[in-house]
Amino acid sequence: MRLSPGARERLTIFWMLFPTFLVIVGFYIYPTLYNLELSFTDITLLKLRKGGDWVGLANYWEFLRSSSFFDIALNTVFWLTAVSVTCRMILGLLFALLLNASFLKRMKLSTLARLILLVPWATPPVVAVIAWRWMFDPTHGAINSWLLSTGLISDPIAFVSNLSTVWPAINTIIVWNTTPLVAISLLAALQTVPQELNEAASIDGATKFQEFRFITLPYLIPTLSVLTLMSVIWTFNNFVYVWLATGAGPGTFTNVLATEVYLKAFVDLRIGYSAAIGVTMAVVMALFGALYFRLFGVGDMQEKVG
Amino acid sequence: MSIQQRLTPSLLIERGSLLVGFVLFAVFLLSPAYFVFKGSFENISVSLVASDGGWTLDNYLKVFSSGYLKYVVNSLVVCVTATVLGCTIALFAAYGLSRFRFRGRSLVFGSILGGQFFPWIILVNPIFILFARGGLINSHIGLILCYTAFITPFTIYLLVGYLTTVPRSLDEAAIVDGASRFTVIRLIILPVIWPGMVAAATFGFLQCWSEYLLALALITDDSMKTIPLGLYQYFGDVQIDWGAVMAGSVVATLPTLLLFLPLQKKLVAGLTSGAVK
Repeated sequence: MRLSPGARERLTIFWMLFPTFLVIVGFYIYPTLYNLELSFTDITLLKLRKGGDWVGLANYWEFLRSSSFFDIALNTVFWLTAVSVTCRMILGLLFALLLNASFLKRMKLSTLARLILLVPWATPPVVAVIAWRWMFDPTHGAINSWLLSTGLISDPIAFVSNLSTVWPAINTIIVWNTTPLVAISLLAALQTVPQELNEAASIDGATKFQEFRFITLPYLIPTLSVLTLMSVIWTFNNFVYVWLATGAGPGTFTNVLATEVYLKAFVDLRIGYSAAIGVTMAVVMALFGALYFRLFGVGDMQEKVG
Repeated sequence: MSIQQRLTPSLLIERGSLLVGFVLFAVFLLSPAYFVFKGSFENISVSLVASDGGWTLDNYLKVFSSGYLKYVVNSLVVCVTATVLGCTIALFAAYGLSRFRFRGRSLVFGSILGGQFFPWIILVNPIFILFARGGLINSHIGLILCYTAFITPFTIYLLVGYLTTVPRSLDEAAIVDGASRFTVIRLIILPVIWPGMVAAATFGFLQCWSEYLLALALITDDSMKTIPLGLYQYFGDVQIDWGAVMAGSVVATLPTLLLFLPLQKKLVAGLTSGAVK
C-alpha cells in the first residue's frame, strides 16, 4: 500500500506518541476515573472479585463528618504542608543568597557548597527518615547526646514520640531532604540578576535590604511562585515522610490525608472509603491550583513552564 | 566592588557572619549523613549504653548475610528496566512533540505537565485492584510498569527541553537524503542529545530507586521486595537493629550519590531550565 507523504507523516507521529498515550491513559486517566467510580461503592479488599455495591455519596459524607476529619485536615494543611513549605522556601532562599555572596565565591566555597547540597538531595526519603530518627534517638542520637553534654536538658527527649516535638521533627526531615532543590533553583535564578543594577543601587546609597527587596526579589518571584506551587502540591499528597517517621502516630496524632488513604485501604481494607478520601484530596488540590493560577497569573506561569 | 576594599569593622562583621552561616549550612546538611556513615561502622548495642565503641564491619556482614543483597538485585532489575523503558518511550514522544505541529499537541503536552503534579497516593487503590485482578501483585513486571509510567512524563519534559536546542535543519537534511524518522532519531538525534538522555535517565533511575509507596502496596513477598521496603523492615520490630539499618542505608545511598556526582551540574541546569525557564 502506498501512502501520501502527509499520511505517512501522520502515521509516524502516531507511532511516536502511541506508547506515551498508552501510559497516560492506562496509568493516569483510567485509574483516576476508576478511583472515582470506586469512591461511590462500598468495595473492600475482601470482596475484590465480586465488586462493591453503589452507595452514592455515603463514603464522602462519612469521611467529612467523621470525628477525625478535622484533625487530619489540620495536620495535612497546616503541620505537613504550610509549615514545611514555608520553612523550605525561607531556608532555600537563605542558602541561595549565602552561596551567591561574592565573598564566599571568592573563597572558592561555592563548588564545595554544591557538593554539600548534593548529599541530602541524593538521599532517598527512606534513608533521610532513618538518618534523622538516628539523630533524634533518645539513647544513641547525636542531638540528645549534644544537648545532654551542654547541660541544656537533663533527660533525653524522645523527639519522634513526644507530642510537642513530633511535628517539628517530621518537618526537619522534610526540610532537610527537599531544601537543596529549592536552593539550587533559586541560586540559578540569582545568577540572572544583573550585577550592574546592584552596584548602581549601592552607589545611590541603597541598603543591603533595599537592594534585596527592590532588585533581587523581583527577579526571583517567577522561580519562587513555581517552586511554591510544586512544593505545596507535592507535600500535600506526600505519604512517605509521615508514614516512615511515625506511622501516623503516636496513636493517630500525626495522621494526614495520604496516610489515612493508605490506612483505610490496606489496614481497614475499605477501598471504596479510601478512594473517596483520595478524590477529596484531588479536588482540594485542583481548587488550590486554580486559585493559585488566578492570583499569580496564568499566562505568566504558562510562559514559565511551557 | 572590584576596587580593593579596606577591612572596616562592618565588613569584618559581614564576612564573619557569612562564614558562620556557611558553617551552619554545612553542619545542618551534612551531619545526618555523617552520623549514619559513622554509625554503620560502629558496634551499637541494643542496651542503654550509648555505644560499645570500636570500628567494625559486622553491620555490613550482618546485613548481607540476612538477605539484603536480594533487595539490591530486585531494585536494580526493576529500576534499570523501568528507566530504559521510560527513556525509550519518552525519546520518541519528545521528538514527536518538538518536531511536529499537530492537532491535540498542546493537550498531550498539558497532560504531560499534569503528570508531574499527579498524586500517586490516589492511584494506589485503583492500581492495586486492577493488578490484583490481573495477577500483577508481587510481580516485578507490575512494579516496572508503574515505575515506567511514573517517570515518563518528567523524562519527556526534560527531553523536549534538550530537543528544542537541536536545529531542525539537521534532521531535515537527512530526511531529504531518504532517511526515515526512526533512522534520524537513532543516528542523528540520539548522539547529539546523549548528555540530556543520560541526565534524564539518571533522574528517572533515582526516582525509581527511592520509590516507597507503590512498592509497599504492590509487594508483600519478601523475595520480591526492593531496597526501601527491605531497609524499613529492620525498623518494624519493637527493637531497632540500628547497626544493620545504618549499613543498609549506606548501601542504598552510595549508588545515588555516585550517580549524582558527575551529573550534578548538568542535572541542575536541566532541572532548573525545566522548572523555570
